[in-house]
Amino acid sequence: MIRILWAVSRSGALFFFVPLFDYAQVRPAPRFESDVLPLLKAKCVSCHNSKTRRAGLSLETRDDLLAGGKTGAAVVPGKSVDSLLVAMVASGKMPLGGKPLTIEETSAIRNWIDSGALKTDEQVLTRPIRAREIFAPVLGAKCVVCHGRRVQQAGLDLRTRASILKGGKSGPAIVPGNPAASLLLQKIAKQQMPPPQLQEQFSVRTVDSAELEKLTQWIAQGAPDEVESAAPVNPDFDPMVKPSAREFWSFRKPVRPKVPAFASARTPIDAFLLERLDAKKSSFAPEAGRLALMRRACFDLTGLPPSPPEVQAYLADNKPDAYERLIDRLLTSPRYGERWARYWLDAAGYADSEGGVSTDAPRPTSWRYRDYVIRAFNADKPYNQFLQEQLAGDEMFDWKTSKIYSPDQMEKLEATGFLRLAPDATYSTEQNFLPERFDAVASEMEILGSSVMGLSLGCARCHDHKYDPLPQRDYYRVSAVFQSALDPYDWLIPSLDCVGVGSKCEERNLRFLPDPDPKVVNETETFNAPIKIQIEDLEKKIEAAAEPYREKAKKDATVDELLKEFEPLKKTVTDLRKSLQQAKAKLKPASGVRALFDMGGEPTPVRILMRGDVNNPGPLVEPGPPSVLSSGLRPYLVEKLPYESGTSGRRLAFAKWITQPEQPLTARVMVNRIWQQHFGSGIVKSAGNFGKTGTPPTHPELLDWLATEFVESGWSVKKMHRLIMTSAAYRQSTAVTAEAQAQDPSGALLSRFPLRRLDAEAVRDSILKIAGRLDLTAFGPPAAIEVKPDGSVLAKSGKLGYRRSIYLQQRRSTPVTILDTFDAPFMSPNCVRRGESIVSSQALQLMNGDQIRESARYLAGRIIDAVGLDTRQQIDQLYLATLTRTPTSAEVQAAERVLLAMRRNWQEHYETTPPSEPIAAKASHMALSSLAHSLFNSAEFLYVD
Amino acid sequence: MAKLANSRRDFFSRISDGLNGAALAYLLGKDFLLPERLLAVEGQPQIFDLKPKAPHFPPKAKSVIQLFMNGGPSQMDLLDPKPALEKYAGQPPSRDLASQIRQVREAGGIMPSPFKFAHYGKSGTEVSELLPHIAQRVDDIAVIRSMYTTHIAHDFALFLMHTGRILPGRPTLGSWVVYGLGSENQNLPAYVVLDDPKGLPVNDIQNWQAGYIPGVYQGTRVRSEGLPLLNLEPEEEYPAAVKDLGRSLLHSMDEAHRAKRPYQPNLDARISTYELAARMQMAATDALDLAKETDATKEAYGLNEETTASYGRRCLMARRLVERGVRMVQVFTEGNVWDHHNDLRKGLSYCCQKTDKPIAALLTDLKQRGLLDSTLVVWGGEFGRLPIAQSPGPTAGRDHGPAGFSSWMAGGGIKGGSVYGATDDIGYKAVENPVSVQDFHATILHLLGMDHRKVVFQREGRNERITDEYPVNVLTKIIA
Repeated sequence: MIRILWAVSRSGALFFFVPLFDYAQVRPAPRFESDVLPLLKAKCVSCHNSKTRRAGLSLETRDDLLAGGKTGAAVVPGKSVDSLLVAMVASGKMPLGGKPLTIEETSAIRNWIDSGALKTDEQVLTRPIRAREIFAPVLGAKCVVCHGRRVQQAGLDLRTRASILKGGKSGPAIVPGNPAASLLLQKIAKQQMPPPQLQEQFSVRTVDSAELEKLTQWIAQGAPDEVESAAPVNPDFDPMVKPSAREFWSFRKPVRPKVPAFASARTPIDAFLLERLDAKKSSFAPEAGRLALMRRACFDLTGLPPSPPEVQAYLADNKPDAYERLIDRLLTSPRYGERWARYWLDAAGYADSEGGVSTDAPRPTSWRYRDYVIRAFNADKPYNQFLQEQLAGDEMFDWKTSKIYSPDQMEKLEATGFLRLAPDATYSTEQNFLPERFDAVASEMEILGSSVMGLSLGCARCHDHKYDPLPQRDYYRVSAVFQSALDPYDWLIPSLDCVGVGSKCEERNLRFLPDPDPKVVNETETFNAPIKIQIEDLEKKIEAAAEPYREKAKKDATVDELLKEFEPLKKTVTDLRKSLQQAKAKLKPASGVRALFDMGGEPTPVRILMRGDVNNPGPLVEPGPPSVLSSGLRPYLVEKLPYESGTSGRRLAFAKWITQPEQPLTARVMVNRIWQQHFGSGIVKSAGNFGKTGTPPTHPELLDWLATEFVESGWSVKKMHRLIMTSAAYRQSTAVTAEAQAQDPSGALLSRFPLRRLDAEAVRDSILKIAGRLDLTAFGPPAAIEVKPDGSVLAKSGKLGYRRSIYLQQRRSTPVTILDTFDAPFMSPNCVRRGESIVSSQALQLMNGDQIRESARYLAGRIIDAVGLDTRQQIDQLYLATLTRTPTSAEVQAAERVLLAMRRNWQEHYETTPPSEPIAAKASHMALSSLAHSLFNSAEFLYVD
Repeated sequence: MAKLANSRRDFFSRISDGLNGAALAYLLGKDFLLPERLLAVEGQPQIFDLKPKAPHFPPKAKSVIQLFMNGGPSQMDLLDPKPALEKYAGQPPSRDLASQIRQVREAGGIMPSPFKFAHYGKSGTEVSELLPHIAQRVDDIAVIRSMYTTHIAHDFALFLMHTGRILPGRPTLGSWVVYGLGSENQNLPAYVVLDDPKGLPVNDIQNWQAGYIPGVYQGTRVRSEGLPLLNLEPEEEYPAAVKDLGRSLLHSMDEAHRAKRPYQPNLDARISTYELAARMQMAATDALDLAKETDATKEAYGLNEETTASYGRRCLMARRLVERGVRMVQVFTEGNVWDHHNDLRKGLSYCCQKTDKPIAALLTDLKQRGLLDSTLVVWGGEFGRLPIAQSPGPTAGRDHGPAGFSSWMAGGGIKGGSVYGATDDIGYKAVENPVSVQDFHATILHLLGMDHRKVVFQREGRNERITDEYPVNVLTKIIA
């Protein structure tokens, strides 16, 4: 502080901000040599000295602590909370094997750090400052938003030493060796920069005293640059990845195994499974009943039960391949894509809102990605192409020169929405600081890791992966692949204000690629033109209303300032603003695609962040995939693309790298998830973790056979369904015999088909379908939801309130209650395998929920319309609709008895409280609907055999 | 043996809140070797249920009532007197404090507290005039004056305060508590949330989510007005006879369905959830029926005054719930009501008037009934406030202050009348014995007899804990 005061006053500045008192100085500042070194000597220095340097760390001098070791600085001056030394000793992790430090000792260290981490005779902290400490956490975090790639206020670019020396309108920003003459420093010291009035808008804060001190010292030391380049990584000889680690099963490419010779095996899948069962002297269960199998196949592929006519037609089909043709039919149904897209959307972490903060801002055009996925599944888009488009669709053509996007190009852009799905709070100016941006990127990496690569990549963000051969460097190499689109130092915010037209930042927002089709643009503009005039008019009116008051107050007073003082103005302005708000809400958002795209230009260099801390930048890295995945693969190779968009080609190279047939994880991870959706559990149970801490495959050869088959079939997902669903394993019954229970207690060997509960969407959608209420309108903006006073969340009733669940608005903060109750996942950031809970709130929901009772009434009405009041026929229809079968005669008798008794009871009920309709008809209707309600609650309805 | 254990775990990686845990164990007893008891602590449990579990060591407290003051109560106006503020009144803040200010344009100088403090009780703990009733209970209370958090915005700070991390999607403290200990009462939810009918806190229901641990450990929202639980009863019930007919048909259908499908424990579990749902209808209605309380009690909780009635009802419900063995009760205040950016005088008085009397009554009542020893009462918000004025003037407020703030704990093994830690002279930053959110969580778990390092959930191969890998100090000095 003293140094800066001196520096600036010498330069002739008249005033700058000086605190009139300094709370930290109330007590004398402790010194390293007297207050800290003795206790370090007693407990730490025997391992951490200049000779032995355990973990690269010596604790003998203060500067040693600042230099730190393998995981970065041990001490952050002024911030004990962020200091690794404190973390290690306070948690008792250090001294390793020794007696922990006492609370008094820990406090002494804390106090010393918080009062500046000073040495004897030092007034302020002095040490060599590296350029990266200035560029990343100070200028990068607080200045480049206005003096960087996109904007260069006053002609100044603060991204490199050279551009700082070049300076802007007022000359060079710094004079190396002369802090007093450095304009940059003066502006910051006087708190003119970052400008207080803009800090909020751009999410930057005042430079704090430690940062200012660092900057001063760096300039005083001659503003040395760092000449460095990223250490090259040769994946085949990488000292950070042991050769033995590459031998782990999932990192080696799948080799197509020989199918075991098994006479009784219907398909290769069965041969692999029977081999294991046979070793246990066990086998498959008998084939499931025809209708049980039909119900299973329908739910599996479409998430809906078959309708009674479909059931009857299937029963009447006597050809031997009736089942195979059923599968083909289901696979061509548009309902198939709506079912299977859902699982991909789970894995990708899809939501219609940003999450992160409580406002949970909607993502108004997120649905385009959802529709892309549904269409891709329906069209059986090859999985390699599906992945490539999602990772690099924008790099597959030159979108900047396109006048109109072709449908195929539009799809490619929509696909990149995949990398825009993570929870992202940066739309709020309060959450748009570097750490939150890095968090959003980390979530994208976590999604990519668990959904596509089967790797817990996120674990290597702060340190080398504890179990898998993923050095921290590799996390940053993968994130560097995405840097030119997801750059925390050059961030595109998902601001809602910027989505709409008429907002100030419209032209430079941001996450949307505008639809260049003039037809679309014109339509929107024509629609918006009169509203825009209205808005302008209202804004003028507000100004006009405020103007007279300015004379009474300050000339330059803002409207808000005036509002505080003048009560009468408040009323006028509030009303006008309300109308303004309403007018703005009417504006049609510019039609655009929420996409990920390369921003062009030289991307910000990527550094390893020590301990994941943005204030602790480490060595540079180049983009690339994890080096453990290299043997036998074509290397990751970035080719410069001749596009006007100036795209870097990094992601396209990655997309090609990850979809090469020999890639050991891509096909395995996907076929495992397909298997999981059919059999309830994957061959690898930990579907998102194929690493050491994941569960090993129950049938490794089968997994590899499926993976290679998948690639050879042209990455066709539908072919995999057909293959799996025509196997004997899939067609067997769920019955468990005592013998099967003993030999295969968990069912992992598939000695029977697992009995499975309907998942969340299937519960809601099938009840609606059976009631005849399901609205099959496909695609487009989601159906709105509403929060009821009792806290329950449901689709807004009305036109689109009965759409399939995948088309309901999916807000992170308000999950639709019935879906939430039946384990629809919370996206944080994604879900590769859903839980299956059995809790009383499910019973309460099905028993007492109004929607279920309403559906039962509708179902009863439909049945009565179709077959009249004949109880026998009513019961037949009811069973067929809800359980996909006709009742046995015992069941008919029982149900009939109940139905007739219910009619009597309803009759009596209505005699005391007469309804508007005729009593007898109403009683019959309600009796059947009460019976239907019981069936909706039955285990047989909820569980698929 | 090892093999058997493995398959049993696979088998049991199911989730249920019914009483079926025991039923399942019995059912499977013939086929598998069962452990002596079903532990939910130290390693992954085999059944995710709410049966009571043994703690790691003898607990001081059996239940927790967390009085959550969402919005960020101002420490220097309530529990952390700072006479030095008078000395510096109106002066600009230091650069480091300035670098933490978000609304720079609204920032003013140092602002002394407009409220007076006095010493209370035998301990002489200083409390502001805004909390006259709580002041009478200070000898039961340990005030922590050196809390700090690492995020300045509500959303993130709330996630941190409830789950230990600033990101959404993680289990809350209450979820970890019932995951570790289960509940003493199987007919009521183990983890109850009493939210303010006037509005949910920031982050809404995410404040009591179970995150990645099974949904059975999620907080259950119990409303203090109207139907207490969602779907506890239908909007319009069928006539009683119809209802009975339907239920008995359902029962016989389910029994027949199950009989044909041996070795499917999920089906038993499902039947038991229907039984629990039925029992809950009775138990919840009884537990929350305040008409059963005496007039004196109602008066003490402020049920007869408009200002205190709403919060008083929820405090009284909290007592009735812990009395019945509910493990974790959280009482929230409306919306973001402690967030006094403007008019601190008015706003803070409003919040205190609403809550002070009911909270004091709760402490007194628990003590009289001998429940205070086994019930830990925790008070506090997600952060505190800055010593400088926001929008200076007669209606000045204070902006968020994460670097230092106050909380308190009482009952359940707490050393009453104590004060722990300190902030600097102006109440900006915790400087003496700083208490992290992780310390705070670990201390609560410790009082419940659990070692925070051993309450572990395995997720995709990683051992997750509420304190993660953070350094942690249990606040042994405030424990009796």
